Amino acid sequence: MLDAEKLREDFPLLRESKVIYFDNACTTQKPKQVVDAIVEYYTKYAACAGRSLHKLATKTTEEFEKAREKVAKFINAKKSKEIVWTKNTTEAINLVANSFKFEKGDKVLTTNLEHSSGLLPWQRLAKKGVISLDFVLCNKEGELSIEDFEDKIDEKTKLVSVIFASNVTGTVSPLKEIIKIAHENGALVLADGAQAAPHFPVDVRKLDLDFMGFSAHKMVGPTGIGCLYGKEDLLRELSPFILGGETIKDADLRSYEPEDIPHRLEGGIQNYAGAIGFGAAVDYLTKIGMKNIEDYEKELAKLLIEGLLEVPNLALIGPKDWRKKNALVSFNIKGIEPQDLAIMLDENNIAVRSGMHCAYPFHKFIGENKGSVRASLYFYNTKEEIGIFIEKLKEIAKTLG
Amino acid sequence: MVICIVALVVFSVLGIFSMRWREIAKEAFDCVYRMATFRPCITKLDQRIKSRLTAKLMKRAPALARFTYRYFKALSWIFTIVFFATMFYSAYGIYNLVVYGSCEPGSPTCGIDQAMSVISCYETQIVYGIILVLFIVFLYFGYRYLKFKE
Ligand SMILES: Cc1ncc(COP(=O)(O)O)c(C=O)c1O
Repeated sequence: MLDAEKLREDFPLLRESKVIYFDNACTTQKPKQVVDAIVEYYTKYAACAGRSLHKLATKTTEEFEKAREKVAKFINAKKSKEIVWTKNTTEAINLVANSFKFEKGDKVLTTNLEHSSGLLPWQRLAKKGVISLDFVLCNKEGELSIEDFEDKIDEKTKLVSVIFASNVTGTVSPLKEIIKIAHENGALVLADGAQAAPHFPVDVRKLDLDFMGFSAHKMVGPTGIGCLYGKEDLLRELSPFILGGETIKDADLRSYEPEDIPHRLEGGIQNYAGAIGFGAAVDYLTKIGMKNIEDYEKELAKLLIEGLLEVPNLALIGPKDWRKKNALVSFNIKGIEPQDLAIMLDENNIAVRSGMHCAYPFHKFIGENKGSVRASLYFYNTKEEIGIFIEKLKEIAKTLG
Repeated sequence: MVICIVALVVFSVLGIFSMRWREIAKEAFDCVYRMATFRPCITKLDQRIKSRLTAKLMKRAPALARFTYRYFKALSWIFTIVFFATMFYSAYGIYNLVVYGSCEPGSPTCGIDQAMSVISCYETQIVYGIILVLFIVFLYFGYRYLKFKE
């Protein structure tokens, strides 16, 4: 079983400060191992990968590609070339939106539960008339129904872009079933894995998933690096929208010969330190075991939700059954604005997020126009922290609610 | 929003001593500037003041915290009016002092009574000095702000 107290020792910020950090859906803390890997790159072998032939460059290339292998293995991709480095999940989704060869009349199906990163790229394409955009609407608890996907996916549907785990309700989409229906209808599936990959084991081959984006910084890795997973043949089909150094094998004045994937989709000098840090983050999580993380987070979710349900005047967003959720909960307390509540918690050294969490349509859909407060936990959070959090909330709710 | 006016004055003075307060004074200026141009304040400074104050009060006086949170807007107005009324009377006293050589012309002494006269004269002079400094700081931030906006 996972020992959160022991693992916290690896996180300088958690060790040295008294903060109760419950804003992990936004970004996570970084363990020493990740910081060390980045520092090592900058202090011991900083150079370009792929281009130069000197020893430093060779070492950088090795570590950079090793990181790609680690990330590929982490989600059980077939080959490391199925991992394309991006800045983050947002860029991964935008990469597909801008590189996928859509034809006029193609439909993209998405949901009203999406993060802005999984919605706006499609909105833009729809406004340009490149695609038609359709939506599956979740219920008020944020749950997506398979029947709705069955109804909406048709022969015109080229791509289903769906959030894997919600950053507002903490619910996990029935991705396997969605993929099955999509594939039966000749459509591909792109999953927004930002809140999935960090929290439970993801096996892209078992899922038969076509594309998935996720960010390192939400899984103890550095900011500024993420990736797009794509099946090899599908990545080859993408038409790169950023061209330049590293993306070609040869060029003359009027034409060029593109590199193989993934490099053809990674224009310019890459974030080597970030990728190496991402590799170290994946090592760290793998050592703990994603199944252990999932189990422990379920325990946290149970404690958190049961505790929240005892807070007077508290309205939980999403299902009340902890079994249906990750350790991520959004809520409001009657009579207190979400921002006010977040600031009051911050005064008590508890870091949570408030606002729309980049999910405007969903908040509007459930009538929470001012947004909500979100507590999102990770494996280094403890049961004791949850206890303090709940007590503080009760105190605030009783005093002001 | 109205509390931003007081915040601007207070934090401008504190800003002389620390960068941290200067940043808040800048936010307050932004808020006041927007108010003056009939736009909503977007810095959320008033919200932060309200919430932090409530959280601090909650530890010692929950009833007062509840009262502050519920009636923050009304309290802000009262506080702002009292603040500016005090400023006005101080300025009035200074004006009298400069023009007539006494804070209270007609009164045989400068202050409320004989014993207090020296103190109250000193006080008004200090207030006069503070207002001057505030005015300079206000102009400085205003200038910097407008330069930044260009
Ligand atoms: C579900 C979901 N998708 C996408 C994103 C965007 O991630 P990034 O900012 O790393 O691109 C987030 C970030 O909060 C998220 O929660």
